[in-house]
Amino acid sequence: MTSEASTAATPVPETITGIVAAILGRDAAELTPDTDLRSVEGADSIKVLRIVAKLEQTYDIELEDDEIFGLRTIDEVVAVVGRALARDHG
Amino acid sequence: MTAVLPWSGRADHHCFGCSPANPGGLRLEFTEDGDTLTAEFTLDKHFESYPGVVHGGITAVICDETMGNLIVLRQGVPALTTSMRNRYIGVVSVGRPYRCVARATFGGDLVPAEAEILDARGQLVATATATYKMQRSAL
Repeated sequence: MTSEASTAATPVPETITGIVAAILGRDAAELTPDTDLRSVEGADSIKVLRIVAKLEQTYDIELEDDEIFGLRTIDEVVAVVGRALARDHG
Repeated sequence: MTAVLPWSGRADHHCFGCSPANPGGLRLEFTEDGDTLTAEFTLDKHFESYPGVVHGGITAVICDETMGNLIVLRQGVPALTTSMRNRYIGVVSVGRPYRCVARATFGGDLVPAEAEILDARGQLVATATATYKMQRSAL
């Protein structure tokens, strides 16, 4: 509800990278679109779910469990958010 | 500021979530702060699922209570849940303190709301989104 959804039709990779970096406790500059999130120090399944919850709040979307448990890279996260935006707000 | 619900003190107030007169209930109390309503809680084994873990259905009730009562306090009428979705991030442990914070967006009879449950360190452990329909003729 406090979302970008009302102002942006597509997810902003920089915003998503910032969310991921903040929750993983890393500098956003360390993360590239193809960084394997499972290889980032401090990453675990709980933090992935925190990222998912923050994305759902930020974009006012509902991500499906079968979409999120296979996520590996920022690029994949951006794609999943984009699909959810089209589904929930298209 | 501690919130006072419209039915506080009524003899027939036995809400599972917030009545102080329901011995089997959660007995939640709420605090208003700006646009949010907060319930701080620590649950015992009566609400347990796996050993030491609060049942996920109970955490959903707490989110529903906090969001619904925020609408009641802001609008002055009951609001019935029409849908709710929960995202579980971690466990809510028996005997540990948590807080549930709810927000809502007002504008029509259907009110979207969201809630989050945070642990003592402020870490997110659960979220909920829901829609409520205000019952303008109910009270």
